[in-house]
Amino acid sequence: MSWSGKGRRVITLLAFVFPAFALYALFVLAPAFGGAWYSFTNWNGYRPSYDWVGLANYVEALRDDRYFRQSILFTLRYVACMVVLQNVIALGLALLVESRRRTKAFFRTIFFMPNMISMIVGGFIWMFLFTRVLPAIAAKSGLTFLDQSWIGDPRYSFLAILILSLWGGAGYLMIIYIAALQSVPAVLKEAAAIDGAGVFGVFRHVTLRMIAPAATIGVFLTLNSSFKVFDAVFALTGGGPGRATQVIALNIFEEAFRGSYRFGYASAKSMILFLIVFVITLVQLWIMKRREVEA
Amino acid sequence: MYLENACRILWANQQQSGVQPNMRKRKALTLLLAALMLFATACGGSAGGGDNGGSNAGGSSGGSSSSGSTSSGGSGTAQQEAPRKVELKVFLDFPRFKEDIEAYFAQFKDKMLAEQNIEVKIDLEMPSPEQAGQILQARLASNDAPDVYSLHANNIPTFYSAGYLHDLSDQPFVPTLYENVRESVTYDGKVVALPLESLSWGYLYNKAIFRDLGLSVPQTLDEMRQVVDKLNASGIPPFLLAFQESWVPQLMTALSLGGLVSSEHPDWIDKMNAGEASYADVRDIFNIIDLIMNNGTDKPFEVGSAAGAADFANGKAAMWIMGPWMAESMLEANPNFEFGIAPLPVSNDPAGTMINLATSTSLAVSPTSKNMDVALALVNYMLDPQDSAALFEKLKFNPISTVHNYETFPWIAEASEYVAQGRAYLDLKLPNGVTDEQAKLLQSYYAKQVTVEDFIETMDRTWANAVKNQ
Repeated sequence: MSWSGKGRRVITLLAFVFPAFALYALFVLAPAFGGAWYSFTNWNGYRPSYDWVGLANYVEALRDDRYFRQSILFTLRYVACMVVLQNVIALGLALLVESRRRTKAFFRTIFFMPNMISMIVGGFIWMFLFTRVLPAIAAKSGLTFLDQSWIGDPRYSFLAILILSLWGGAGYLMIIYIAALQSVPAVLKEAAAIDGAGVFGVFRHVTLRMIAPAATIGVFLTLNSSFKVFDAVFALTGGGPGRATQVIALNIFEEAFRGSYRFGYASAKSMILFLIVFVITLVQLWIMKRREVEA
Repeated sequence: MYLENACRILWANQQQSGVQPNMRKRKALTLLLAALMLFATACGGSAGGGDNGGSNAGGSSGGSSSSGSTSSGGSGTAQQEAPRKVELKVFLDFPRFKEDIEAYFAQFKDKMLAEQNIEVKIDLEMPSPEQAGQILQARLASNDAPDVYSLHANNIPTFYSAGYLHDLSDQPFVPTLYENVRESVTYDGKVVALPLESLSWGYLYNKAIFRDLGLSVPQTLDEMRQVVDKLNASGIPPFLLAFQESWVPQLMTALSLGGLVSSEHPDWIDKMNAGEASYADVRDIFNIIDLIMNNGTDKPFEVGSAAGAADFANGKAAMWIMGPWMAESMLEANPNFEFGIAPLPVSNDPAGTMINLATSTSLAVSPTSKNMDVALALVNYMLDPQDSAALFEKLKFNPISTVHNYETFPWIAEASEYVAQGRAYLDLKLPNGVTDEQAKLLQSYYAKQVTVEDFIETMDRTWANAVKNQ
């Protein structure tokens, strides 16, 4: 009775998955589909009744909503900076930490620490640093370039948001890169060294190639989280001054919960954000997976 | 390999939970909250409902008419019967007054039991103000409205058109309200909420600085310019700017638009709603806004309202566009701080220099309440002729009704003088979202990212959209 054996196995597996899947379906999938449904309506969150408006919300978001477009552009700029900087810095930190002998665990902990703090708390810490500490340092030391309106001037507040996000996020990627660096076979490096490769040669042609899977994950994670960034901006500038630093998630949040309470419209915007993230990460994975090599 | 596995696991996790936009999670959270509350209240509610069914049949005073407080005299014979049990759900968004309100509700329960033989159980919910709006919204949308709930008077039109407000026009408290306060909770010709917090406000000025420099409170735009020049000459920044939270710069439009519209364009709001007017008609508001922005303290986006209160109390600037609701924070920073309230000049006509009368927190009764008589009795009790004055004085609210006969703070008395002279107007009722948009644009305007033309164009469009979506 091979069928019953196989069937039982499937049922057992399903039974194990069921509790998690039920919760996931109830609290993630169902609201997600609900949001997709609301995105075709004009529900304002208060009214008991609402109308089906078809694609009108999507058309308005993409054609008429200047602030939404601005927030998409701002987010793209942020994502581009984050993907490059966060991965470069994380790899740099990983190399530094790996090069230590006795203090490895200490530095690893230090650099990972910000990741354990909520970004909201981190935001308040950096708010204090930007608004009180840096001007004070500038006044004492004469480093006048530090005395900027870090939060209030849109040019600098973009930097401030980047600094906060990198501070909070680089440690996590660093762990991934450390794991990757440790798994690079020493034989390959030795072989390359014997063949006459210098330190940089070994790094470029052996190490970088071998840690490509980690880079795929690193870029994927950064892309994904930067598109959805909310807490760092919310805590530091609140999207201000005006809407100068408003990211997509913040724009959606304000549409739904501030002022006009346009739930249906906000849902349409979040579906657009979902599609953007979905398409871009698919493309990224497809490209980067092709370039990986196996040991 | 270790890494491959680690990556796979990470990646799988991310795919499960990560690809959804932030919004999804937030929504899921809200829904979860709502579901939990529904569950909790459904359990509580069914028990209460059973009680009501039994007691309503036995009670003689009869169902849901508004005769609750008037029938109190004749019900002496009911003393022998078992008290009728009623459970009221009350939702208030000012947890900072929790103890006072609970004590006041306890008095109400005693009164109801003694006078009408009704045993009231009050299920009081006081979430923090930031979350209250969303929770209330979830409740109302899911047909689980609290019997009595608080709302901001500015939201009355939205709530009214959604059918969430019971008509209170014939309630005993209505005739005792001051007329201008009554108007602020009247919509579509009906009184639809009971006002709690009412404000008469303008900008704040530092009395010590004004006294030292021999300045008097300016009554016109030109006089304001002279005051600003004198302050600049003596090295004191004329205005405190604390623009980090966008509602603070918004106060500039609240005052300037209010003064200008009320004095020179009384039909502007109606015309805007009909699509026949534009912000270009009132672009003079930028006369005073520019004056304030060009003569303010540095780095305004790094100062929140709390830090601003401390700065102002410590004499960092002579004037601040802010209401007396910050009094507590300012006196905490500097207990000897002397400040006054003055109306903001918007033109060279002193008649346009007026105090803003606004009602913020109000109480509404849900039309779906199953115990309408008790809910109405509770609302009326908030302005009870005997007990209300003590409560309002304790909460430091302004007097709003003839039943309030207590001493107020000096700065409130100062504002009330203008009101007594008739130099006051009712806070403008702007459509949903318009205020928020003004707030954002003023921040951008200060950061020089938008011009006056952009401001006018965007506000006109926002207003039109708001009217369309209402």
